[in-house]
Amino acid sequence: MTLKLLKEDGLKKLIEALNKADTRVVGPKRNKAGMVTYDDVNADTELELDEVIGRYSPKDAFFPQHETVMRYKLDGKDVHVKAETPVIKETVLLGVRPCDAAAMISLNKVFTWDYVDTLFTERQKKATIISLACNNADESCFCTSVGFAPDGTEGSDILLKKIKSGGYLAELITKEGEAFATTHKSIFENAPAKADTVAIAEPTKLDIDIDRIKSWLDDKEKSWEHPLWEQLAAKCVGCGGCTFVCPTCHCFDIVDEPYGDQGKRVKNWDGCQFDHFTLHASGHNPREHQPQRWRNRFSCKFKIYPDRFEKKGCVGCGRCIRVCPVNLDITEAMTEITQIAK
Amino acid sequence: MESLQSKAKELIKDASVAVIIGYAAGTKKGKTKPFFAYSEEDCEKLIFTPECVNNLTIYLTRKFDFMKKGKVAIVAKGCDIKTINVLIQENQLKRDDVVILGVSCEGVVDKDVILDRAELTADLPEDKKSIKCITCDVNTPSDFDHLFGEGVESKAIEPMTGGIYDEVDKVRGMAQGEKWNFWMEHFERCIKCYACKKVCPLCYCDVCITEKNQPQWIETSAHERGNYAWNIKRAMDLSGRCTFCGECDRVCPAEIPLNLLNQEMAKLNYEAFDGYRAGYQTEEKPPFVSFKEDDDEGFIR
Repeated sequence: MTLKLLKEDGLKKLIEALNKADTRVVGPKRNKAGMVTYDDVNADTELELDEVIGRYSPKDAFFPQHETVMRYKLDGKDVHVKAETPVIKETVLLGVRPCDAAAMISLNKVFTWDYVDTLFTERQKKATIISLACNNADESCFCTSVGFAPDGTEGSDILLKKIKSGGYLAELITKEGEAFATTHKSIFENAPAKADTVAIAEPTKLDIDIDRIKSWLDDKEKSWEHPLWEQLAAKCVGCGGCTFVCPTCHCFDIVDEPYGDQGKRVKNWDGCQFDHFTLHASGHNPREHQPQRWRNRFSCKFKIYPDRFEKKGCVGCGRCIRVCPVNLDITEAMTEITQIAK
Repeated sequence: MESLQSKAKELIKDASVAVIIGYAAGTKKGKTKPFFAYSEEDCEKLIFTPECVNNLTIYLTRKFDFMKKGKVAIVAKGCDIKTINVLIQENQLKRDDVVILGVSCEGVVDKDVILDRAELTADLPEDKKSIKCITCDVNTPSDFDHLFGEGVESKAIEPMTGGIYDEVDKVRGMAQGEKWNFWMEHFERCIKCYACKKVCPLCYCDVCITEKNQPQWIETSAHERGNYAWNIKRAMDLSGRCTFCGECDRVCPAEIPLNLLNQEMAKLNYEAFDGYRAGYQTEEKPPFVSFKEDDDEGFIR
């Protein structure tokens, strides 16, 4: 791994260079409502790099909440259809957190599984992920409890670490990262032999054993109808906030939107916590009650994902905990199951 | 809250109620959670502090199965009891089916405030209070079976003034185009998660119009048309019904000022229907639920 140095004005210069090259830059930015989300950035002064983590995950850069996939036009008895081919620019995700970078790998597994979703993969291919190691964690952060780290490199092309005296130490993780640093070699300077970086955050390490949770979920006799689901999730109002802010939740719905004799087919985020998510046309709903829906979300993270993709479905970003209106805390479930499964 | 716990234990012990819907300490600093006590042991976990922000009356609606378990007791603040009143008014609840454990309340924490204190206690600084508490006049609940918390006087207020209503007036003062832009800028952030409808105790339809997809009345897309249709539709539905519990505003991940929208509607109702305020009565029908032959038709052109 190569180390480089970004001087204090490095990010400023980098964004200027990227603007000039017509590259899209997405980073943590405060919106008009005062919350930090990942959005298009045009100057380094817009970046909110001290925020523990943005309200939403940056998955939107590859998997927009709403996008058109096809357009159609009725013409007498004919119908003309045209696939949507959006212009996808080179993109840099700048200052995202290591947990979010790791989540992009998990997302890729879904979008390249039985069908390659080119809208996703093209965006991902054209993106360079420059993540920023965390110097602060809040009470909801739990990456270290699920096998990730505040300075983890998975999914990042380049990882930045803040230097005490200013600037960043840049670890070039992938060959794409190396190439990116070469392209911008006046900005990515040679690193000093020793750089004094700011201490990395230490999220509380919880008493969680995800392997044990996995085997408990595998044993459906034990886990499927366990009273725990009801105990924990009876209070769930099914708002689905957790699924929308989650960096690995990936469910979407395909809908046609007509505008007179023409229209478009759109792909919109959906979520397993909604009561009509699994509702059949017959009226039957295999997940009739909220605790069953919540069991599904939990199992998706800790069983379905590892089974199907050999990847973790949860990176410990803690967003679902922060956003939950009824304090349904996924780590509470994980801790309890770790105990039950002993 | 010993008295609350002992009354709760008593109700469980003599089987007066099947379950007590209340609050317990949460898993994170400054957080509480909705909690369902089925046993005397469970009752020892019940608390009431300014961190108890949730409007628990949602669990009395048909979105949940609690009312099927038998008689239910609920810990309710004055503002929550306003929702109970509307549920009774709309035939969603019978007063006799619920035991109200009313709690006096001098305000709950604002949605953006996490009080950094080791123990959940009763006191709450004025500047940390939720905006709904500024114009609250039901600090001591208007209806209850048992009351907890002594010496709290309900404030006398001039309805529809101060607090959120100052902001309502500010938006009213905008020019038409400015007002449109103001709301469209907020609605633009909507992520169509529908958390607002899910958390609302008065959104209890078995099938929501958002789920009607032949045709798709409310587009699922988080685009201008879909977001506008949804937010306006919801405001209309709650007109004359919203009791300002503030839950939708609290849970909105996109920070859309839903209190402002709903209270604009509330103020309109107050002005148009002889000072009608939702949640203050159980007998009279809400303005948009009743029909009178002498209703004004002058607006139909």
